[in-house]
Amino acid sequence: MTSHKHITIVTDSSLLDHDTGGGDHPEVPARLTSIKEYLSASSVFSKIQYVTPDPATRGQITSFHTESWLFRFEESVLSGKTYIDHPDNQIGYESFELAMLSAGTGISAIDLLEQGETECVFCLTRPPGHHAEANMPLGFCFFNNCVIAARYWQSLGSQRVCIFDFDAHHGNGIQSAFEHETDTLYISIHEHPSFSYPGTGWAEEHGQGAGTGTILNLPVNPGTGDEQVIALLDGPVLELLESFKPEAFIIAAGFDGHGEDDMSGLAYSTNLYRNIGSRIKQWEKQFCPGHVVSLLEGGYALTALAPSVEAYLDGLS
Amino acid sequence: MASCNRTVTRQVTATGKKMFVYYYMTPEPVTITSESTVSEATDIINRHGFRHLPVVDEQMVLQGMVTDRDLRSVCPSTILDPGERKNILARVSRSFVLDIMSKDFFQLQASATIDDALQLFTNHRIGTLPVVNRQQQVVGIFSLNDMMAAYQKLFGLGERGSMLIAIKDSGKEGILGVLAKGLDEQAIECSRLIRSPGRPGHEPAAIYLRVNTCNASLVHRVVEQAGLCLLSPKNPADGGNA
Repeated sequence: MTSHKHITIVTDSSLLDHDTGGGDHPEVPARLTSIKEYLSASSVFSKIQYVTPDPATRGQITSFHTESWLFRFEESVLSGKTYIDHPDNQIGYESFELAMLSAGTGISAIDLLEQGETECVFCLTRPPGHHAEANMPLGFCFFNNCVIAARYWQSLGSQRVCIFDFDAHHGNGIQSAFEHETDTLYISIHEHPSFSYPGTGWAEEHGQGAGTGTILNLPVNPGTGDEQVIALLDGPVLELLESFKPEAFIIAAGFDGHGEDDMSGLAYSTNLYRNIGSRIKQWEKQFCPGHVVSLLEGGYALTALAPSVEAYLDGLS
Repeated sequence: MASCNRTVTRQVTATGKKMFVYYYMTPEPVTITSESTVSEATDIINRHGFRHLPVVDEQMVLQGMVTDRDLRSVCPSTILDPGERKNILARVSRSFVLDIMSKDFFQLQASATIDDALQLFTNHRIGTLPVVNRQQQVVGIFSLNDMMAAYQKLFGLGERGSMLIAIKDSGKEGILGVLAKGLDEQAIECSRLIRSPGRPGHEPAAIYLRVNTCNASLVHRVVEQAGLCLLSPKNPADGGNA
């Protein structure tokens, strides 16, 4: 592998095979294909190289999830069930293996960075992960890709990991993984939980016990646009990062806050994602050069998703 | 409710609604007898961080209420001579709860509703109410916090895995049925459906749905198909709606 390209995208065409049943389910394979097609015609394409991931190992998955959940997931798939716990969590016969592969994208991305093979890496993956709890799926998510990646990075020596989540929805699974810990930080900007799924992520939640101060929830009201988000990035987010001093960033990159995406009431522009990308680039330089991995979470309006990802990568690179 | 006489215990019973205090109260609360000393009452209140203590007889029948304010009010002033203050304190500590407890208080029957409690809390600035059975025995205590938890539960506030959809109410006849049918046809689990008339000039008439799904797009489609539109305040302070 060569490293002359600036952006590495970790993805695999088999991720398209995670079957969410068609119909009205918004988490569809076309999310990934639309992004790839759009990037191929964009100005950032010349900077991009594609790398395929290895699946996460069972041990890597159980760094967060319980064995009983893995068994239940695998059994559900093999027995031909079409969803687990709720129709939101649609599965097909290959979904267990593909969720392992999706979790593996973050791990492969970290390996690429640690080996100096790339400078900027984005995991173009599905199923997404930030709602998944240790023992249950939630909101289209089965394995918490970001938390699994964080545990892997910690095992390599980068203890102080920050997950920054700009998906329109709160990453309840990440918060529940981190909220008692002192070495991890979770920052989320999301639509206010009074209006938005999954009804978590209240501003007064700052972490628990020894972990107090390591959770920063920044809920925003429906209708919120770019200006308010940028003020949060340059204000409370940067302030907390300066005191925490992360050794690695994992970005839960969700694009469903876009004004065209009706999965939230937020009104972000495409250009906001460019600004978010450039802020993250600045944080990387300031705190931990070469230690940023972004993983795709939400983003369902295909016409907005692809340009938003392109803008984000442009800002990030 | 009984008349508002200073010497009469005022009692609220159920009014036929189904949101019963009994399910949300703290059962088997700590109590004290009227023969207990003020010192003992102070100790219990301080140790548990209570502000209200029901006073009962041997059969747990409610006799009165003693509050942290009652206890503070019988303490001597700090500007008194230290020696005199010490003597008064000793005398007060040895006096009985019977002498300081309130015999004029509100209480709730176990069959009362949380709306009854809300009325008392808001109209009389009370923070805690004893809950009694038909024999007037104390079976629980119901605080402002218990009431908030009850409404939170009833309306599903902060319920994990759900979201609230606010819809402009068209006022059309049968619209709730149309909406419910649409949700049902799409297998969208709706756990709460609330219609609020709003307040002219302040708050628009609205229908609130709490749905247990991540699939907001599908819910929005059902709303549109019912001929309704979302109510999304861009800035509540301006009263503007998207």
